[in-house]
Amino acid sequence: MTAAIPESSRTYDLSFARWVRENVKGGDKMNLCMQCGVCAGSCPIGGEMDNGPRKTFMMVRAGMKDEVLSSTTLWNCTSCYRCYVRCPRGIPVTSIIQGLAAVAAKEGYADKEKVANYYFSRAFWWSARTFGKTDERLVTMKYFFSFGLAEGIKRSLANLKIALGMIKAGRMHVGMPHTIRNKSQLKAIVAKAAELEQKG
Amino acid sequence: MAQDGPQSQTIAVIGGGIAGVTAALEAAETGYDVILIEKEPALGGRVSRLNRYFPKFCHPTCGLEINYQRIKKNPRVKVLTMHEVTAVDGEKGAYTITAKKLPRFVNEKCTACGECARVCETEIDDPYNYGLNKVKAARLPHEHAFPMRYVIDAAVKGSGDEAKIAEACKYGAVDFSEEEEEVTLNAGAIIWATGWRPYDANRLETYHYADSPDIINNVEMERLANHDGPTEGKVVRPSDGEPAKKVALIQCAGSRDVNHLPYCSMICCLASLKHAAYVLEQYEDAEVHMYYIDIRAHDKMQTFYERIKVDPRIKFIKSKPAEIHAGADGRPYVKGERTIDRELYEESYDLVVLATGMEPAARDISTGGDVVKDEDGFVLAIESGDGGQISCGVASGPFDVALSTQSGTAAALKAIQAVGAR
Repeated sequence: MTAAIPESSRTYDLSFARWVRENVKGGDKMNLCMQCGVCAGSCPIGGEMDNGPRKTFMMVRAGMKDEVLSSTTLWNCTSCYRCYVRCPRGIPVTSIIQGLAAVAAKEGYADKEKVANYYFSRAFWWSARTFGKTDERLVTMKYFFSFGLAEGIKRSLANLKIALGMIKAGRMHVGMPHTIRNKSQLKAIVAKAAELEQKG
Repeated sequence: MAQDGPQSQTIAVIGGGIAGVTAALEAAETGYDVILIEKEPALGGRVSRLNRYFPKFCHPTCGLEINYQRIKKNPRVKVLTMHEVTAVDGEKGAYTITAKKLPRFVNEKCTACGECARVCETEIDDPYNYGLNKVKAARLPHEHAFPMRYVIDAAVKGSGDEAKIAEACKYGAVDFSEEEEEVTLNAGAIIWATGWRPYDANRLETYHYADSPDIINNVEMERLANHDGPTEGKVVRPSDGEPAKKVALIQCAGSRDVNHLPYCSMICCLASLKHAAYVLEQYEDAEVHMYYIDIRAHDKMQTFYERIKVDPRIKFIKSKPAEIHAGADGRPYVKGERTIDRELYEESYDLVVLATGMEPAARDISTGGDVVKDEDGFVLAIESGDGGQISCGVASGPFDVALSTQSGTAAALKAIQAVGAR
């Protein structure tokens, strides 16, 4: 008998898991998870995530609301759906991660101090909303200068060679940003989406 | 159609593996006529292809040999090999079984002298060794075959070998006039002992089974370890014949997966522990990694698990690998997330063994009357009736050998009750 007796003060709190089950799309399937790890092992950017999907699910079960909602996992997901396709229990992993991200945004967990790529998301969304397309140059510049003037110049110079190479290879155009036709329709779509989101 | 009583008291057993052989013998030894129908040229099924049984590491040939002696002594058992059942119809007391009789080209005069094999030049993938090696098209199915009779593959027909083989046989046992035919058999009760086949590893897209000869499945591992297998019992890399010292054993390759086999195949964890023992026994400096979701060593098998586990050369990694692929260096790589500490790993091995699950062979046979197949293809007697069709062994669900023989005995009793006491 050398091991210390564990502290029993912490109770197992299922209330967050129950809430996720009822309020997050696909959350009702989360209890099927058998913690096999295929989702996290399959994730092409799993190395960039703090927890990954499998551990996130376990943390939800363990009631770790703050840790889950402020995790980078929710924001680094690229929605490639590999986890969902491969899940041996057919759990819609991607939907649950996206759903948790929406909750995090709503509950104020997604501010710049807590989300590593907050600035990038902002720059990306600005371009998509303004032009209906992502303009690599503008997204990148806006992202770099989000960190301040000095940092912006430093990062821009560091990437100058890549930018010139892309222009030379015809992978990045010079001139006015491309836009979509009928931007008013995009505006209406975005307004409708915002309205639906408000309704929940 | 109402029946006054069963018209036939014959019991037909479909499948001559360990469960079917047991059921046939138990019924015959109480005085009933039994037809034992097997699609392969010899009895024994999957068990005859095992190297050792778990948990005691005894030889499967031992258990099978005793049963073959009992069949030889019992005139009530009629063994039909190379009969592939395609459909079953009818009702208790009057079933009709339709089977495809495949040509063996060798009749009962065969003395197993081997002259036909000596002159035969045509080679085929050895079905006994899951195609791991080539074998003469005229061959004894394997060294413990029952019946002890040669078989000639249809590939010989029309080739130059045909005349040579016919001439070589001094006993008039070769008969190339045999053709495939459809036969109908009648029985009063039917025991389904159709068993299983390994789940097709090619369907596990992320495991790239076909991309490297060093990614094999668990039944092939049994053949590698067996003295009459393609490597004479040496566990080596199929790619170059070098010792397979660093081995990964992948659990749930197909099983417990809604995209493949949704159920647990029950034997794989234990078979893999046995495979670990094969490697550890052959190489002092072996390194075995067992990847698992959870180790399912049911009831008394826990002791077996604990016995293997103490060896410091085996490591258990709690993770279902996400991908297995052949690397640029030709070695198989296993990639995934270790779920205990969330470390992402990618590691190479000499040999990767996929513990593919058991798929019921009855999936291909049309059933009728008083049995149904569940959504996975296992054969079940319908709950309400007292019909004359019974299932046992892996035809009825994922079982190990011990449970298969027990269920074979139970099925024999039910079949006897169905055809009626006399």
